[in-house]
Amino acid sequence: MTADTTSRTNPNDGAELFGLVASFDKIDEFLEAVTKVRDAGFSKWDTHTPFVVHGLDAAMGIKPTKLPFLVFGAGLTGCTAGIALQWFTNAVDYPFLISGKPIFSLPANIPVAFEMTILFAAISALVGMLAFNGLPQLSHPLHSSRLMKRATDDKFLISIEAADPKFELVKTHELLESLGPLAVEVVEV
Amino acid sequence: MQYWRSMDELAQTPEFKEAVKREFPNDEWDRLPPATRRQFLKVMGASVAFAGLTSCRWPKQEIVPFAHRPEGRTPGIPEQYATSIDVGGSALGLLVTSMDGRPIKNEGNPLHPDSLGALPATIQSDILALYDPDRSQGLVLRQGGQDYVKTWDDFHTWASEKVAGTGAGVAVFAESSSSPTVARLQQQFRQTFADAAWVEYEPISRDAEREGTAIAYGRPLRVQPHLDHARVIACFDADPFLAHPAAIPLSRAFTEGRQPSEAGISRLWVAEPGYTITGGQADHRKAVAGSQVPNLLASLARELVANHQLELPEQAMNFEAAFGSANADGGDFIPGLAADLMAHRGSSVILVGHGQAAEVHALAAVLNEGLGAVGSTLTYTEAPDPGRSNHLQAIADLVASMNSGVVDTLMILGGNPVYDAPADLGFAEALAKVSHTVHLGLYDDETSKLCSWQLPRAHSLESWGDGRAWDGTLTLQQPLIEPLYGGRSTIEILAAMLGESNPSGHDSVRDTMSASFADGDFETAWKNALHDGIVSDTAWEPAVTELDGSSLAAAGTALATLVGAAKPTAHSPELVLAADRKVFDGRWSNNAWQQELPDAITKATWDNVLEVAPVTARELGLSEGDMVEISAGGASLELPVCVIPGQAAATLSTSLGYGRTAAGTVGNDVGSDTYRLRTSASLWVIPEVGVAKTGRKIALATTQDHFAIDAIGFGARNDRISTLIRETNIDRYLADPDVIQHMDHHPPLVSLWKDKQYPGEQWGMAIDLNACNGCNACVVACQAENNIPVVGREQVINQREMHWIRIDRYFKTEPGVGPLDVEDAEIVFQPMTCIQCENAPCEQVCPVAATQHTEDGINAMIYNRCIGTRYCSNNCPLKVRRFNFFNYHKELADVEKLQFNPEVTVRSRGVMEKCTYCVQRIQAVRIGARNDNRPIADGEIVPACAQTCPTKAITFGDLNNPESEISHLRGDKRAYGTLVELNIRPRTQYLARLSNKVGGDGGGGHAPPHHADDSDHGKEG
Amino acid sequence: MSASIPVSNHLDNTTDDPTRRAPLIVGDNDFHSVTEAVCGIVEMPKTPPAWWIAFFISVSLTGVLFAMITYLITTGVGVWGLQTPVAWGWAIVNFVFWVGIGHAGTLISAILFLLRQRWRTSINRFAEGMTIFAVCCAGIFPGIHVGRVWVAYWLAPLPNQMSMWPNFRSPLLWDVFAVGTYATVSLLFWYMGMIPDLASIRDRAKSKIRWFIYGILSLGWRSSNRHWHRFEMAYLLLAALATPLVLSVHSVVSFDFAVSIIPGWHTTIFPPYFVAGAIFSGFAMVVTLVIPTRKFFHLEEIITLRHLESMSKIMLATGMMVGLAYSTEFFIAWYSGNAYESFAFLNRAFGPYAWAYWIMVSCNVLVPQIFWVKKFRTNLVVLWVASILINVGMWFERFVIVVSSLSRDFLPSSWGYYTPSIVDVMTFVGSFGLFMTLFLLFVRFLPIVGMAEVKGVMPQAHLKDVAALGHGDYHGDILTEKGEV
Repeated sequence: MTADTTSRTNPNDGAELFGLVASFDKIDEFLEAVTKVRDAGFSKWDTHTPFVVHGLDAAMGIKPTKLPFLVFGAGLTGCTAGIALQWFTNAVDYPFLISGKPIFSLPANIPVAFEMTILFAAISALVGMLAFNGLPQLSHPLHSSRLMKRATDDKFLISIEAADPKFELVKTHELLESLGPLAVEVVEV
Repeated sequence: MQYWRSMDELAQTPEFKEAVKREFPNDEWDRLPPATRRQFLKVMGASVAFAGLTSCRWPKQEIVPFAHRPEGRTPGIPEQYATSIDVGGSALGLLVTSMDGRPIKNEGNPLHPDSLGALPATIQSDILALYDPDRSQGLVLRQGGQDYVKTWDDFHTWASEKVAGTGAGVAVFAESSSSPTVARLQQQFRQTFADAAWVEYEPISRDAEREGTAIAYGRPLRVQPHLDHARVIACFDADPFLAHPAAIPLSRAFTEGRQPSEAGISRLWVAEPGYTITGGQADHRKAVAGSQVPNLLASLARELVANHQLELPEQAMNFEAAFGSANADGGDFIPGLAADLMAHRGSSVILVGHGQAAEVHALAAVLNEGLGAVGSTLTYTEAPDPGRSNHLQAIADLVASMNSGVVDTLMILGGNPVYDAPADLGFAEALAKVSHTVHLGLYDDETSKLCSWQLPRAHSLESWGDGRAWDGTLTLQQPLIEPLYGGRSTIEILAAMLGESNPSGHDSVRDTMSASFADGDFETAWKNALHDGIVSDTAWEPAVTELDGSSLAAAGTALATLVGAAKPTAHSPELVLAADRKVFDGRWSNNAWQQELPDAITKATWDNVLEVAPVTARELGLSEGDMVEISAGGASLELPVCVIPGQAAATLSTSLGYGRTAAGTVGNDVGSDTYRLRTSASLWVIPEVGVAKTGRKIALATTQDHFAIDAIGFGARNDRISTLIRETNIDRYLADPDVIQHMDHHPPLVSLWKDKQYPGEQWGMAIDLNACNGCNACVVACQAENNIPVVGREQVINQREMHWIRIDRYFKTEPGVGPLDVEDAEIVFQPMTCIQCENAPCEQVCPVAATQHTEDGINAMIYNRCIGTRYCSNNCPLKVRRFNFFNYHKELADVEKLQFNPEVTVRSRGVMEKCTYCVQRIQAVRIGARNDNRPIADGEIVPACAQTCPTKAITFGDLNNPESEISHLRGDKRAYGTLVELNIRPRTQYLARLSNKVGGDGGGGHAPPHHADDSDHGKEG
Repeated sequence: MSASIPVSNHLDNTTDDPTRRAPLIVGDNDFHSVTEAVCGIVEMPKTPPAWWIAFFISVSLTGVLFAMITYLITTGVGVWGLQTPVAWGWAIVNFVFWVGIGHAGTLISAILFLLRQRWRTSINRFAEGMTIFAVCCAGIFPGIHVGRVWVAYWLAPLPNQMSMWPNFRSPLLWDVFAVGTYATVSLLFWYMGMIPDLASIRDRAKSKIRWFIYGILSLGWRSSNRHWHRFEMAYLLLAALATPLVLSVHSVVSFDFAVSIIPGWHTTIFPPYFVAGAIFSGFAMVVTLVIPTRKFFHLEEIITLRHLESMSKIMLATGMMVGLAYSTEFFIAWYSGNAYESFAFLNRAFGPYAWAYWIMVSCNVLVPQIFWVKKFRTNLVVLWVASILINVGMWFERFVIVVSSLSRDFLPSSWGYYTPSIVDVMTFVGSFGLFMTLFLLFVRFLPIVGMAEVKGVMPQAHLKDVAALGHGDYHGDILTEKGEV
């Protein structure tokens, strides 16, 4: 790396940077900081909180997720699969005469169809959520961050990635400092 | 054979250890070769080969492998052979189904007068005795506490020394036999060995009847009732529908007289101590102590003579003296019966049971003469063996001569006197005094244990023989299989003792027969006889009879004594003994089917119980299951109490044939041995017995609730009986045939879906409750046909019996009567099996579709698909499904498996099973019909239960064929379905019961609320 | 451990004063102290002896369970007291009993979630765990009660050597799907809710193994808000799906009976009646477990008196519903004029099984009535005893329904009386062993309180200035935020 480029390496040891992390412990200050970072126009940045902080999505300007459509689709599939299964097995592949009843009649098939709907939808909800979140991801630079350890406990963090075009180590560091964090940490890849 | 035990119990039981011992021989006795499968294959092969030659054992007998198929035999196609079995001196004709040389099922021979195609439960079960691994499996000589294995040659060499010269010191003890060949050989034997004694004994004997006729007519006669001509039938302690050699023709004739017609139906009056199935059919029944029956009959006689001016034959005039003391308080029974008898002179009959004294039979004979019964409703034939002394006398004399040391060699050819001789004679002790004793028997039984020689007897399906039906018809007995255990028949033994080098039952019987077929070609006649099982037109001619005044007069005082017999009281009650309805005199106690068969009345299995009247039970403080100690004449035994309404007060009833000690693994120690109370003085009714509570209670292995249950259940049960088992009086029925249909109303039945149409053959069944007398024959037929396992006492107590068809027995009491104040009650029977619902509740709940409907309307079970959720059983409104809680076949010996019907799957553990209308029989007929390219004829398919029903109560056929009998029956006004209000559309319907009470309005009436026009009756489905 | 062992009056947050919102967490707790309190249990350096004792007992009982099952499978269902007519006995009773208990968890997590019952957060993890274990126990019984266990897989629509398929008209098959789905979804729900808390434990891990194991379990959760955002949505969707599911499962279980024709089974009231009963018993079981647990692990400040009181109110309500169902059955039996039906119920109350019926009524209908009184609702001993009685009563409810109806149906000839065998009893006892074993492992190794959710409802989690960004209320209403979500 040459010095004239906007520095994405650690000036001390020259190791490649992941980015910067700042931690807060007051929720109001944190949210304020978040809005500032958002307004600074960063794109590759995130916040890390021990629980869901309300209004944070708005503060970060996160778009609604597509998950519900996926789940709805999965539900439909489940329902269809349920009915198809019962129709094929009992009415087509091996029909038998039971209690003088019709070979195929929907009422008897509703419970199974319903359960299949729920099953498919529920699985898709979890799997979909993980997939969209890119989880499981067992190795991530942030896991090595010292501040991050408290993000699952009682601290609120903002992380800005070095990969962000607007990222400049010094400037960004100053920006974060200006938000009155408990601490700011440089995270290497 | 411990198949009724669960594994853990099994592990500890002494029986189990015993069984283990048997598997790993460790003493002399067990060294006899056990029956192995290989041995049986040989035997089967052989008998098949012979079967090819009209299944005879020809003189030259070899074991030939089944390598060359005998002509006219297709492997896997069952064949039926006519043979017979002799029980207590009367032969019953059989058609035995043989599958590849294995006899697998006893059915009745339609040509035989005592069978008419049907069989009692006992004889059907006898097929198990053939394959019983407990059977005596070889000759044994017991000397100095050692058992030695011997051969027939050894025995005959020995016998020829002992039975020689004039036969002095020799006595032969034989069970009674109707066989002409045995009679012939006996004759020869007597001639050859003039000084030898020949004794005939049967514990259950009709000698009283025989001697009664001797008193009345001066010579022994055989009574031949003709109930089809009778309009009024009066039974005094008589059970013609079960406890009679001709029970089947008698009950069928009675049923014919009960078919509704404009002329009405016959009327049955029964006076008896304890309920019999005859009593169950009675229109008027009076419970009377056994000792009071003479009094009651005499009172009837007096009533007839005094109030109805019945003129008795003058020979009987002196006899009337005895009536004087008659004072039975019959209530309106006596007057009613007397009037009825008078009103039907010439078409009425009085029957007296074999448990009553000869004089009582004589009195009945006199009355029958007076009522003009003789010749119409009752005829006499000459007794086949007028010479013999009566059984009791015979054995008493024998014991005397045994004790006096006259007898030095005793040959016991059949029978089990040590077990069933009157207790006071002390047969066993006397036997010990005899130096040489021989016992020929199927089993190594109580008698055999005390004899020096045990000879294995050939089963009737293993040997040649002949016999005579109750009416005298000549009957043949041919073997279907080589003797499995090298046994020989009485005929063969006798022949050998008479010096025949090669004693062949076949030859002996042929010789006897050749005399019977006077003219014509013998071989043809012989072949026909073999084929038919009988020789037609050999029934005895009715005897010409005239009352014998002198002997009657002589009997007068004896009768008076009987009439004057003291009444029993609750605290010194009388004990009435009877032949057991299942194990008879004990000869079938090792028969698992019989042991597990629910008694017709008590529904008890694996036990003989003490039947007690509710009132007596209250007075003695007894309740169901109490073990009480009964003592009489120094002997005492314990029996469990079973309270039965309709039992005579102060009269305890129980049955003989239990408490065996050497019956075999099944029969040992089941119930208690009531013979120990039976003395020559009181064979049937033991007066003033002691009754003491032991304080112990046992669980009776009954298949139905005790009648006295909690008030709520009791009430509900009474309410339901009248719609489940519909019954009305004949007059009411004739007046309004729809009365049956109006006994139940329910809203119109609508399905949520379009009802399925059933084109083509559609099977259905009708069960005529007016014919069914609860004899249990169908239960055993089904068990034999469908490989139904026996589960044993414990499992019956756990309510896990497996019978596919059961006879529901209900006591009918007046509405509003509580469980504790029932005294008397009518009995009704309802054979219950899968009714093959079209909308079967069981099918829809099976998660794996292991039970589904066939196109011909059968509710089929797919055993290999069943996973055993038991949901179908829960959802079956009739609870006719049976579940294999354990592997009930596990402990069966190979030999027992030979009885299995290969056409029916043997169900494994964890599988549900149930009646399928004998689908294997349906398929067999259908395949045959398809091959001949013809439709199935009506009546061609006969399920096992219908086949064997003595009263033809069960009819099966195609509902879509308007000409079929079943269609007609379903159209009958008496036809109704059970639980049709559930819209299950049952394929089996019932025909209502008809009663004929004097001026009676029995049952019927309109079930409230009176239905609107759109409401339905119990007739759908 | 939370710093101060608080005195009881701090712990009483059961006020019903409408003017002030009662705190859901008491004592001077902040986010960190909650983390400490909950993770503390998992991080205990040394397992308390009491746990070991309880665990030993439970494992032994589990051993009994499997011994009984082995005996059963090798010998046949005859080792149970079953017979004709009563072909279903304790196995099915226990199945329905356990499934019923398994309803509280999902109900709390799902239905109370949708109903914005914020107090659920302290107990939902706990209840969900209990649900899973109860369903495990429930699942065993239908499996082993079939006659031929080795072919029980034929219940599943798998191609088999007979090329036959299951019969989808059978309620038992509906059961297979319903219970199967329920078990799966409950598990997903439980696990998903646990991911952030597992991450907390990971981040506090001192040892490498702990860090590794919880690291894997937490799937590398970074508590990123972009993730929280979808997590929320997924949680909401699962709740929305689980709600009809939880209602459907016991309805389907009740179909096993309602769809049959046996008087006492064949009744349309069963689905709601069973669901109410399930919730009833489920809450009873939660109370039975939570009271000792919170005491033992000093969680009184997080699982507060108010939580217990709310649960007792629910038990009162559902108990009355069950009581209503009982009386309705009788009314209909009489009103329908159906002789079999009316007999079935007379027989229940006064027949051979009357004893069981009256145990059921007194435990399920009379006992909960004490919860009208606040003193009893907030008295832990009374509450605990009552909850146990209710469990007993609910077991007997199933016993009465299954056994008394079967023992006397249509034909008096085939009436019977069912008595369980020792194997029946030991199998049931053993199932408690399995339940407790799983439960003990859960409290020892997993976060038994949903920290992330609890923190979300603490006062500190709310903005001082609510005007700026929504009212910062419970996250359940995130959807209601103006468009920009």
